[in-house]
Formats: sequence, C-alpha cells, structure tokens
Amino acid sequence: MSLALYRIDDRLIHGQVVVGWGQPLHVSFIVLVDDEVSSSDWEQDLYRMGVPPQIEVIFASVDQAAQLFSTWQTDERVGILLVGDIDTAVALAARVPQVRRFNVGGVHHRTGRKERLRFVYLTDDEAAKLRDLAARGVDVTAQDVPTARAVPIGEFT
Amino acid sequence: MAPLKGALGRALLRLFAVQGSYNYERMLGVGVGVAEEPLLRDLADGKYRPAVARGAHFFNSHPYLTGLAVGAAARAEHDGAPPDQIERLREALCGPLGSLGDRLVWAGWLPLLSGLTIAAIALGAGWFAVAGFLIVYNIGHVALRWWALNAGWTYGARVSVALHSPMLQKALALLGPAMAFAVGFALPLAARFLAVPFPRWGQLAAVVTAGLVFLALRWRSDRLNGLRMALGLSAVALVVGLIWQ
Amino acid sequence: MILPIEVLIALLVWGTLVGVDLVSLPQMMIARPLVAGTVAGAILGDIPTGLRLGVVFELLQYDILPVGAVRYPEYGPATVAAVATAHAAPGGEVLGLGLGALVGLVTALVGGVTINGLRRLNSRIVHAAAATLESGDPGALVRVHVGGLLRDGLRAALVTSVGLVLAWLARPLLAGALAVRDGRPALLLAAVVVAAGLAAGAAGTLRLVGTGPNLKWFAAGLGGGLLVAVWLR
Repeated sequence: MSLALYRIDDRLIHGQVVVGWGQPLHVSFIVLVDDEVSSSDWEQDLYRMGVPPQIEVIFASVDQAAQLFSTWQTDERVGILLVGDIDTAVALAARVPQVRRFNVGGVHHRTGRKERLRFVYLTDDEAAKLRDLAARGVDVTAQDVPTARAVPIGEFT
Repeated sequence: MAPLKGALGRALLRLFAVQGSYNYERMLGVGVGVAEEPLLRDLADGKYRPAVARGAHFFNSHPYLTGLAVGAAARAEHDGAPPDQIERLREALCGPLGSLGDRLVWAGWLPLLSGLTIAAIALGAGWFAVAGFLIVYNIGHVALRWWALNAGWTYGARVSVALHSPMLQKALALLGPAMAFAVGFALPLAARFLAVPFPRWGQLAAVVTAGLVFLALRWRSDRLNGLRMALGLSAVALVVGLIWQ
Repeated sequence: MILPIEVLIALLVWGTLVGVDLVSLPQMMIARPLVAGTVAGAILGDIPTGLRLGVVFELLQYDILPVGAVRYPEYGPATVAAVATAHAAPGGEVLGLGLGALVGLVTALVGGVTINGLRRLNSRIVHAAAATLESGDPGALVRVHVGGLLRDGLRAALVTSVGLVLAWLARPLLAGALAVRDGRPALLLAAVVVAAGLAAGAAGTLRLVGTGPNLKWFAAGLGGGLLVAVWLR
C-alpha cells in the first residue's frame, strides 16, 4: 500500500490532513520531512499531539528520508508524506526519484508571496520551482481537501 | 507571573470574535492580534508595538483553541523570547491546535450533541431538546476557550505540556466513538420523524432516493455534495410535478 | 405569505444573528439549523415546523467537512427562510416541507457565495492595511478587525433578506402548481429533499468516522436507532 499522498502544506499536521485526508485514505502513519522539525524536540512533541494515537508519526530530515524511503514504500500500511515548503519538496524529489507526485495542500501568505489560489500563496521563485518540478515529470496539483477538485499546475503557477 | 489585572478576561472576550475578520491572506491573524493585545499592554515601550504586529501575523487553527496560542505567544513575549522564536512557536501551533480542535469539537462534541438532539426531537422532546443542546454545548465551548487561554498563558513556549493533559486525551478517546454512535442512532429516527406525514409510496420513494444519493455521494465526493444533490433533485421533482398536472 | 411587520423584523434580526454566529461571533451554534429553525418557528408561533425543517437542514449540514478554508453553503439563515416559507403553507405540512426546503437550499447557496466573497474582500482590505498592521498600532488593528465583523453583520442581514424575499415569492409562484393532484408533486419534492438530507447526513458522518474502530460504533448506533424506529411504529 505504502505512501498514498505526498503533500506540501506549511501547517504540516492539521485537521485537513488528519480528518480530511487521513480518514478516507485509512492512513496509519504520517512521515513529516522537515530539517528543522526533525531536530526540534518540542515541535515534534506538538505535532504528535495533533494526531490520534492509532496513527504513527515519523520525523525525518531530507537526508534521512532519502535513506528510509524504501522502507515506507514497502510498508503494508497506508501513509502520508508531508513537507512544509517548496524547497523541501524539490530537494526530496531530487534525492528520491520514486516521488512522482505532489499535492499542494496549503502554502500561506508571507511577504513577497502572491495569491495563486485561496489556499496557495507563492513567490515567483517558488512558482518557477514548482513548474520545474512538473517539467521533470512530477505530477503537481493543488487540492486542500479530498472533496475539492485537484487544480492542475498550469492553473496556479 | 501574573498578567495585567483583567487582561485575561478581556482577551477571552475578544477571542469569541477571533474569526471576525476571517480572510484568506492572514486567516485568523488579525483577530488573534486583537485578542492578544490586552495581554501585551504591560510590555516595555519599545517591545509593545512589535509584539502587537507579530500577534496579527498569519494564524489559522481551531477558533476555540486559538486562545492557547494567544496566551502562549503573550507569555513568551513577556519572558523575552527572541522574535523569530515566537514566530516559530505561533507557526508550529497552527497545525496541531487545528487538528486537536477539529477532532475534539467539529468531529466530536458538536456532532455528538447534534445527533442526540435530533434523536430526542424525533422521540418527541420538542424544543426542550434544542434548549438542552445549546446549554450543554456551550458549557463545553466556553470551558474549552477558557482552559486554552489559561493553559497558554501558564505554560508559554512549553504549551505542549498542557496538551498532554489526561482529561483532554480522555475526551478525545471518548468523543470519537460516542459521536459515531449518536449520529448512527439519530439517522433512522430522523428518517421516521420526517417521513411520518408521507403516504406509503412517498416513504418508499424517500428511502430509495436516500440510498441512491448516498451511493452517489460516496462515489463522487469531489464533484457532488449534499446541497448540489438536494437542489438537483428538487429541480427534477419540480419539473416532474409540473408536467404531472 | 403576509406576515406582520414585527414578525418579519424579528425573523430578519434572528437570521442576522444566526449568520454572524457561524464564523464571526460568538460561535455558540445558534447557527446550527436545529437552533436557527426552532427559534424561527417560535417567532412564527409554529415550533413544530421549525423543528422539522431544522432537522432536515441539520442533516444536510453534516455533509460539510468544517476543516480549513473550504467553501461551504450556509444553512443558518437558510433555515430561518425555510421555516418562514413552510409556516402555515396552504397544502399542509408536506407542501410546507418541500417548499420550505427549496427556498432554504437556494438561500444556503447564496449564503455560501457571500461568505467566500466577504473573505476575498477582507483579504484585499487586510492586504492594503499591511503597512499599518506591521507598525503595531493597536487602534488600526482593532479597526480592521471590527470592520470585518460589521461587514459580516451586513452580509448576514442581506442573506436573510434574500431568503425572506424568496419565501414571500415561493408561495404564489409554486404552491398552486405543487398542490394539484392531491399534492403529489409537493410530496415528491418533500420526499427527495428528506432523502438528500438523510444521505448527506450519513455520507458526511462516515467521512468523519472513517473505517477505524469508530465504524463499529456507528453501525451499532444505526442498528439501535432502527430497532427503536421499528418498535415505535
């Protein structure tokens, strides 16, 4: 079964992920790939609090993710892989060629970012990086919850 | 450390309107800034305004639990935490608080009580059931808001300690099954309550249509929703009805 | 529908409070159709109609996954309008149910569109005020926020008004056509609306329940409810 969703979401673990995607996909583990969180105990503690006890949370840096990816891929349970920003997504896709798709679930406003969709704000640089990723054959779409339409990359970058 | 006199109460009142300027750019941010401001008034002159500005940055979470972030950020400002650490704290709280609140309230407390109320109405309790719903729901609602703000202020940057509270964990563990049971119990009773005035063929039509709509909603949850299905079916029923005459 | 002016005003005020409660203030759940409908029924002196439409729209509301920035219909003011339509409908409670639900569904759609529109407008206003907000001026911060609150009040009043106008129009336009042939068209309408509510309630709840251990509890509840419903017949 392995990883059913590869998601870019700067809130990482929240209700849309746990309730919105977790329930219909029958998720049993969440892999959170983030260099900073993977070295911060208090943040890991917080993110674990947001998840029901039956779901396992695995924290990894990009390096660790590249090493451990095959074990998640062969895991018989269903999992979600989360990254918090475009750079991590690009780095991960470069290191792990098996990552063939990304769901842009939520990137919020920050100085320099422009609104692309109501839940996606990107700088021009970030938009270019996403297009680049798509040009290399990764399927990039934007979709906040499973009941919404998956917006193709051409419509939001 | 004691907060400014009356500041926690003022922040709590303002938290009831935390989503008042809901927008896609900062989500609840502006409301969070407004709610946090009373707790920041005793900061030194050069610190007050930057702290207020930080408070209004992007924030998105469950409204009832947002007080935790308000209290924690205000406390961290008083403890003299560096600005980037406070920003990091606020950002790290968005997701987990949102997830906890969604499970606790939107997927727990609210549908549990709503299901029980529907069942009670169907069994003839009338408006008493609705009054009971409002009272019981809001005891939990206000208690949660107050607990969140206090816990945030008490623990500051160490808020995850507060989230380990056994009561909170127990509530989470109980609410999921209780909600599932209550709404499951309510559905057949609601069907009976609503279809009682129908003649036999109307009841049959309602049951068959309900089954088909349910399957349709399960099949294409990305395109279909309850409102669209109901509007579409109503339009069909209207046309059929008008041709019928 | 000829309602005394003071009743109309009371409905408008109630619908506005209900609309503001949903997101802005104070989220005490008077926006839930169960509450919105029952109180609207009380205002009209017809609580049973309020309860019935309240249950229909409460079920439809289960379909909304209330997580994140998802667009959703607004069922609170819609239920108020639905109850106003259904109250004392000429063809009895079945016609009232169908006609009321129809007005409510359209109002819910309008409400959802205005919520999204207001959030877009608020985004522009907050964006334009970025420099002032960054200065940390508390007065400016409160002004931006209170502006949003007031706009939501206006929005809620507008949606309720639209609903009440639809309620006023629905009876002369549709009631006659639905009442022909012993009211069978009305019954068909009522039946499909009830069906859609039940289906949406079940589908929405199952999305929250998932396929984990809670599914057994849902099934147990469903079985218990069925037993009681059959036993009551």
